[in-house]
Formats: sequence, structure tokens, C-alpha cells
Amino acid sequence: MPVTDKGILTRLYFVAGGLFLFAAAVMFKLVSIQMVDGDKYKDLADKRTSKMFTIAPNRGNLYSDDGSLLATSVSRYTIRFDAVTVKDKTFNENVKPLANSLAKLLGKTPSHYQQVLRKAKANKNRYTLLARNLDYSDYMAVKEFPLLKLGPYKGGLIVEQKTVREHPLGKIAERSVGYERIDENGYYTRVGLEGAFGQYLGGVEGKRLKQKIAKGQWKPIGTDNIVEPQDGYDVISTIDVNIQDIAHHALLKQLDYYKADHGCVIVMETKTGEVKAISNLGRTKEGKYYERLNYAIGESHEPGSTFKLMNIVAALEDGIIDTSSVKDTEKGYWKIYKHRVRDSKHGGYGKITMSKAFEVSSNTAFAKMIHNGYKENPERYVNRLMNMGLHKELGMPIKGEGKPVIRYPGDKGWSGLSLAQMAYGYEVSVTPMQTLAFYNAIANDGEMVKPRLIKEVKEWNRTVEVFDKEVLNPSICSKETISKVKQLLKNTVEKKHGTGHGLYSPNFSMAGKTGTCQKDYVSKDPDKLKYISTFAGYFPADNPKYSCIVVIHEPDKSVGYYGADVSGPVFKSVAQKVYATSPLVDEINMEDVKDGNLDSSYQKYYVQAQKKQTTVPNVKGMCGMDAVAILENLGLNVEIQGNGKVKKQSVTKGTEISKVKNKIVLVLS
Amino acid sequence: MLKLFKNISGDKAIWAVVALLALFSFLPVYSSSSNLVYVVGNGTTMGHLVKHALLLFLGFGIIYGVHKIPSHFFKGLSLIAMPIVLILLIFTLAQGTTSGGTNASRWIRLPLVGLGFQPSNLAAVVLMIYVARYLTKIKDKVVTFTESILPLWVPVFLTIVLILPANFSTAAIIFSMVLMLCFLGGYPIKYLLGIIGTGIAFLAIFILTAKAAPDLFPNRVDTWMSRVDNFTNPEDTDADYQIERAKIAIATGGFLGEGAGKSVQKNFLPQSSSDFIYAIIVEEYGLVGGFVVMFFYLLLLFRIIVVANGSATIFGKLLVLGVGLPIVFQALINMAVAVELFPVTGQNLPLISMGGTSSWMICLAIGIILSVSNKDAEIEESDSSENIDETNPLEILSGQL
Repeated sequence: MPVTDKGILTRLYFVAGGLFLFAAAVMFKLVSIQMVDGDKYKDLADKRTSKMFTIAPNRGNLYSDDGSLLATSVSRYTIRFDAVTVKDKTFNENVKPLANSLAKLLGKTPSHYQQVLRKAKANKNRYTLLARNLDYSDYMAVKEFPLLKLGPYKGGLIVEQKTVREHPLGKIAERSVGYERIDENGYYTRVGLEGAFGQYLGGVEGKRLKQKIAKGQWKPIGTDNIVEPQDGYDVISTIDVNIQDIAHHALLKQLDYYKADHGCVIVMETKTGEVKAISNLGRTKEGKYYERLNYAIGESHEPGSTFKLMNIVAALEDGIIDTSSVKDTEKGYWKIYKHRVRDSKHGGYGKITMSKAFEVSSNTAFAKMIHNGYKENPERYVNRLMNMGLHKELGMPIKGEGKPVIRYPGDKGWSGLSLAQMAYGYEVSVTPMQTLAFYNAIANDGEMVKPRLIKEVKEWNRTVEVFDKEVLNPSICSKETISKVKQLLKNTVEKKHGTGHGLYSPNFSMAGKTGTCQKDYVSKDPDKLKYISTFAGYFPADNPKYSCIVVIHEPDKSVGYYGADVSGPVFKSVAQKVYATSPLVDEINMEDVKDGNLDSSYQKYYVQAQKKQTTVPNVKGMCGMDAVAILENLGLNVEIQGNGKVKKQSVTKGTEISKVKNKIVLVLS
Repeated sequence: MLKLFKNISGDKAIWAVVALLALFSFLPVYSSSSNLVYVVGNGTTMGHLVKHALLLFLGFGIIYGVHKIPSHFFKGLSLIAMPIVLILLIFTLAQGTTSGGTNASRWIRLPLVGLGFQPSNLAAVVLMIYVARYLTKIKDKVVTFTESILPLWVPVFLTIVLILPANFSTAAIIFSMVLMLCFLGGYPIKYLLGIIGTGIAFLAIFILTAKAAPDLFPNRVDTWMSRVDNFTNPEDTDADYQIERAKIAIATGGFLGEGAGKSVQKNFLPQSSSDFIYAIIVEEYGLVGGFVVMFFYLLLLFRIIVVANGSATIFGKLLVLGVGLPIVFQALINMAVAVELFPVTGQNLPLISMGGTSSWMICLAIGIILSVSNKDAEIEESDSSENIDETNPLEILSGQL
């Protein structure tokens, strides 16, 4: 087998050709991966290795109108312990001091913590809970504890931070402050101010593209965020912490006393519609009260006698009656069809004017007025109510505003009785807020303003948006009617026969209307009959500053149920305290009165005080306060007896100060 | 330094290609070492870079040293080295470092330096020289098959059998390279076909025995089966992870690549700094980078052919081809794995991968090629070595040569 150079070469070309083909195939495959399947794999790359991360913005603060914090975001820390990463030796050295430190901070016994730690070590627990929801200062303290200060790897410290919403005022106005939650499906639950102003408070989420570098490790791509997170704005609400506090406690006290099911108070500034306080309390099974639902805005119910104001305004506007028109209340009941309209007073009030009928809240007089006045044309009555906007929601920003119900003739449920029923507040339904808006409009001389909960939106010190008052209806009725019904509302409290007279105080004026409304009356079972006690009004009666409504549902009948008794005191207490804390400003210019005595005694004091003394001066005849000031400024101890001017001094004048050992006793006249 | 360059002899183009590939290797090695550091959690990036530099530096030392050795020395050296290599292989296999039930005993630790060393790499080079020597010896004779069994096939099969349980792909590559060399050296093709048949039959018996009695001897048969299975099975399974990542890397590379160091897949591709480094090169430097690397290997192939062609002796030719072609072949296999032309094997990309001591064996081979290309020395020696009995290693060592 002779092997020649040429033979090798020929075969070599053959092999080299094969290798070239191989190389060509690799290159072809390379190109084909890029060209044919390129998009598929690029997609795969994006899917597997990059992800858009959201950066949560800081939520803004919610303030009351005077700048007190209603809600703010704070960090809370949960501390856990990894018992495996810690070396046995370090653990044994530190377990006692650590247990002691923990016990000192968190309040359980050192042995408890020692047991927890040792058990974790024995069970190789890498995630033992030590403390939950610590605030920042406690967290900083825990970080410096023995063992834990060695950090996550040597000391086994695991820290989980979360941001929670804190309400510095606690339960007060909790429901109205509310919250905003988002569940795993992305649905928002929005409650109260937090929910209503979530768009301002929430801020804008930032976006950051990150690239996966290993399991669970992501690195940000590029130097900037795709979208910078924008912190939420601060919202300044109209809530006044003081009034809120007053309203909350007044309501709580009354609910407790009457064992009522629930109730609410709203206080609103008359001119602007700013809601100064809104308190909703509901009873738990244990008989405690807490902010459960926003009854004030959400609960639409039959208003009862507070609706008489709307009726008398309508009747006056339409010229059906005048305040001086006389109605016969018969013997306390009036039969219409088969129904009896009763007055709360047995035997009725006899023949009374409409103004007195309002003040005593006579159902018969009102039923007669509306029924007789409008029975030919019930549409006119309903149109009048609708003109005043009573069938419309107020458009509150808070979710879940109750819908008012004003039936129209011919609607389902409308009957021949309807006019008479509506006359004293049945067969209609409004929320406390809607009733208050109407009373406020009366107080505000006919201008109906929208109740507001937000005043201003701020970013630090920069104002982003200011909310001014919104007028829903510049004039709900004539000025004449206004002044008439204002008088009626004032009389209800001031006149002896008025249903609200129990609230009367000679010190400040209030105006308002009681309402006692039956609830669940359909069942005819007297035990099931429940009441809603209401008081709506404003204060001061002349030139009103605030309007307020108190609604208490289902008070214990054995204790009482009349609006004047149940809700009235809350109103009074709110009015009284608000009155006391926000007095009307009266400016008095005082003449600068010259007092010769005062001037001369001051001169005397001034002269003495300016002298450099080495001896005890004569202070006889000086005012006590001047004498004390002079002597004590010299470094002497002074004792005074009595008051007035100095009669005697125990150390005579001229004695050297350095020689005075004892106290100088001044006897004053 | 200049003096050093003056002393450099042999094919300048090969020197250039090797130097360029080695220089270039720092880029992908440094980039993909982040995988080792941050994902596997092993060492620092700078540490890996320094280690790579050190290994390459020593590798060039080997090239320089070896290329100064006259090429005919290798004949005798291979005779001496062959039994040593076989002992090393037995030693490696016997130490039986099994990982997870499979025999991964490819490594022995070098004493003193503390580096891992794969005797199979050395065995490949030595075996090729040995085969080249044998083919040269029989160049003028007509050999019968039986005649060639003892001097040729027994050492070949011994080597392969000792490598096979731990490293199938290396064994297969060595086997095919031996066949190729025999083919080039004019060994009768009909015998070669017989050998191939024997090889396949032997492999089948090996696999069947391993399957039937898995505990009889340590082996990695299951790993091979699953790898081949993954390659032939078109469905995407979890085991396709590496290949899919490699293809993602290639696809995202585009024409010009993402840029140096910007590979994303390096963190997800296990072995991104060695077995799958070609995918990372394409991801970072695009098709252009991939083709340039390919071009350099083909250039190396071309220069090897040129050197073989220019060599005056048959032994020189066969020696160059015997140690040179496997380098190119291994490079192509590595690239073929990355583009899914080939099932996953553990082959490095020669001169580029961060492969540790295996790169020294490449350097050894390069040194041999350069030694052959050093014509002046070769011609000078070829005259005087005519009458030496090359089968006697003692004669070679006597310094007479």
C-alpha cells in the first residue's frame, strides 16, 4: 500500500470539503434561526426575560380643614427570624440578651422569647415570626438588638416592610374618611373620602422595565424609569376636627342612652356647603357603636315631619295657604278614605293657624293643607317639589349616595292617599344629606349649595386645585317664603308650644324642625313598630352659620322616640359647643385710657429698677409686684404676706445686700 | 519581547489566527463569567478573567515550547506517552467520582496547581500522533487487517473504551478522527468499514449491558439517551431548555448583535462560558461576529491544509492533519450544538471557551502543527532520521536525533 503525497492530498481535499460543508450547514442554520424563527424566539426572549414592574407611588395625606391629619401612609415592619443561617455558637451566645431586649420592647416575658427562639432553632425554622407591625422607631431598635444586628445572613434578621394607612383620629369619622382597596382582580372598593378622592390621593404608578438575570433576580434596564412614579396629592377636606369630635361624641352618647340601632349627624357650613362634620355610628351585637356605613349619604328613608318644611314651602309658593290660614285639627285625627291621619297629641290642637301647625307639627293640618290644596292637580304639587330639586341626588363624590324617591301621580304606588301621606313625610324618601341640603338652602336665603367634602388639593405647598362652593339652585323659592319659614323654624324652638322647645336656650338661638317617623309600620304589629327620630335645623337662628341634621334610627321605645327628645339634644349639644368654640367676632375699639396712679407707680418702679443697687432699697408704698421684682432682681429672697401695697419690709433700706442672710418679708396691706 | 518574536518560527498565519482567537476570547468569557458569579455564585468576574488570562498565557508557553521541538520527535514521544496516557485514563475512571448516580469521572486534580485536568484531552492528541506514526510506518507496505490489529486498533480501542463510560462525545469524536486519519493515511477503506461496524456493535453491547445491569459499572448511558432523545424529539420539553435559550440568544443577536457584554441569555444558559459560548458570541456580536469566528476556524483549517501540503514528510503531513483537524472539527461540533444541528455535547469552542486545562491540549496540538510548519528544521532533520528505528523509544531519547 504505497502512500503518496498526492494520495493524501486528494483524500484531504475530500475531508476538507466535508468540513466546509459542515461549516456551511452551521452558518445556514444560524441564519435560518435568525430569519425564520427569529421573531418567535425574540418574543420568547421578551416574555422570559423582561417584565414591566410598577413602582407604587406614595399616597397623599388627607387633612381636615385646619390641617390635622385624617389619614396618612406609614411604614410598618414585620420582623422574622431565620434560625438556620445563624451559627450555633453565635445563637447560644446571643439568645438570652436577644430575648431580654425583645421582651423589653414588645412586652412579653424574656422566657417566652427564649422559648420561641430556641424552638425555631431546634425546628430549623427559617421564618419565625418575632413581631408584627412595628413602627419605624421600634424597627430601628430591633435592628440594633443582639444577634439581629448581625444582619440577615449572620443574624437571621428578616424584615418585611409594608405601607399602611393610619388614621390619627382613630374611630372618629372613620367611615367618612374611608379607604380605597384594590383586590387581586383589580376591582376597587372605594369608601368615604379616601375612595372619593382616590384620584388625587393615589398618584400615578411608575413603570420600570427590568431584565431577569436569574431566578427571582431582576435588574433594571436603563438609567431612568419608563414612567416616573408620581406621589399622590394631599387632599384637604372640609371636615373640622373639633366639630367632628363634638358631633361624634354627642351622637355616641345619645345612641348609647337610647340603645338605638344607628344614627348620623351632619354639620354643614351654611354659606359654602362645606361639610364640617359627618358622623355615622351603628350598633354592633355587643352594643358598641362604630362607624359602619355612611348612613348620612347612603341611607334614603321616609323623613317624617322634617318633610313638612318642604311642604309648607311648596304650599306658600303656590299660594295654597298662608302662615295665618287656619286649619281645624279636629279631634286629633282626620279621616281620609279609610285612613286616619293622627296628631301626636291626643284630642288635637283645635283650630290653629298653619304657623302653629308647623310648630306643633300637626299631621292633620298638613294632610288637610296638601290634600285639599292639591287634590285637583296633584302634578302641581309634585312638580313644585321637583322644582326644588328634591327628587335629584346631590351628586356627592362619595360612592353610594341614596336615591331620593318622590313619586309622580300615576307612578306605581301613587294613590288617593298619597298627597295626605306626603304632607307629613311618608311615601317619599330622602337621605339625611338631602334633607340637610334643603334646610341649609332655607338658612342660606334660598340658595341651595351642594354639600362639599373637599376644599383643596395640594402638592406639598403648591395648590393643585381649589374647590369652591357649587350652587345647585340659586333660589329654591321666593324671599318672602324664606323669611316666613325661617320664622316658623325659629318659633319651633323658641315658642313654648313648639316641638323643639326642649332645646331652647336663652344664650343662643337655634332654628329647626323635629321629625318622628314610623318605620316598619306595614306589619301592624306594635312590637315591630320602630321609629326614626330626626332633628334638622340651623344655628344661629338669625344669620345662620351652620346647619345640622341628626337622624337616629330605632331608639328603644321604652326610653323614648320623639325627635325632640332623641335627636334634639345632639343638635343642641353640637350647636352649643360649636357656638362656644366659634364665637361671632365683635370688634371693639378701646380708647387708651390714662390712669394716673398706674403711671406714677410704674415710674417709681422704673426709677428704682434702673438704679444700680448695693443696698436694700426702700420699697414701702410700692405695689407688691413691683417690690418683689426689684428685690428679687437684686438676688434677694422675698416672702410676701397679704396683697396690695407694701406696708412693712423686714430688712430696712440701706442694708448692704451682701449682708442680707434671711428672706426679706414684705407685709402688704 | 522582540527577541521572543524573533524566535517564533513556523506558519505565521496560524500564529495570527490563534492569537486573534485567544485575544477575542476575553470578550465573551468576561461577559459570560457573570453567569458563574451571579447565578451559580462562584468566584468573581475579575477572578475568572485573570484565570482565563493565566491559562492562555501558559497555553502560549506550551505552544512556544512545543513548536521548538523538531516534529519527528513526536513519533517516539507518542510511543512513550501512550502507556502513560492509558494509565492516567484508568486512574481517572477508577477514582469514580460519581455525581448523582452518573459517572462523571473525567477529571483528575493536578497536584500543586489545584487545577482540574481531563486526561481524555491529552489522550486524544497522543493517540492521533501514535496513529500518524503507525500510518507513516506502513506507508510503503500492503497491510492486512490482522497485521494492524495489535499496533493500531488495540491502543485505539483501549483509549476509547476508557473514555467512553464518562464521556461519550469525546470518545466518539476521537474515534471518528482516528478513522479520518486512517482514511487520509491510505489505510484500506474496506477495513475501516469493518472497524466502524465493530465500533457500533461494541457500543450497542455497552449500552445494552448498562441498561440491563446499571450497577455493574459506572456509566452515563441514561444521560446520553435523554440527550439524543431530546434532539430527535420535536416536542418542546424542559430538557430543551439549553437549546431553546441558545436559539433565543442567536435570534436576539440579529445582524450586528446586542453589543459587548449585553447578552441576556448568558445568565440562563448553563455553561454559557464554555459549551454554549458560540450562542453568546452571536447574541453579543450578531451574525457578523458569528461568521467572523467561523471564518477564523476555516482559515485555521486552510492553513493546516497548507502546512500539511508543504510538509516534506508523510509523517509531517499526517501529524499536522491528525492533531489539526480535530481542533476545527471540535469547533464545528460546538457551533453545531448551539444551532441545534447536533445533540448537546460537552465540547468546548477551542481557544475561546473558558475551558481550563483542555485549552492546553489545544495549545499542544497547535504547537505540533507549528513545529511541522517549521520547514527548515524539518528538512534538516528528515535526512538524518532516515535510518533510525523509530519503534525504539530509547534510541530517540538517546539524543542522537
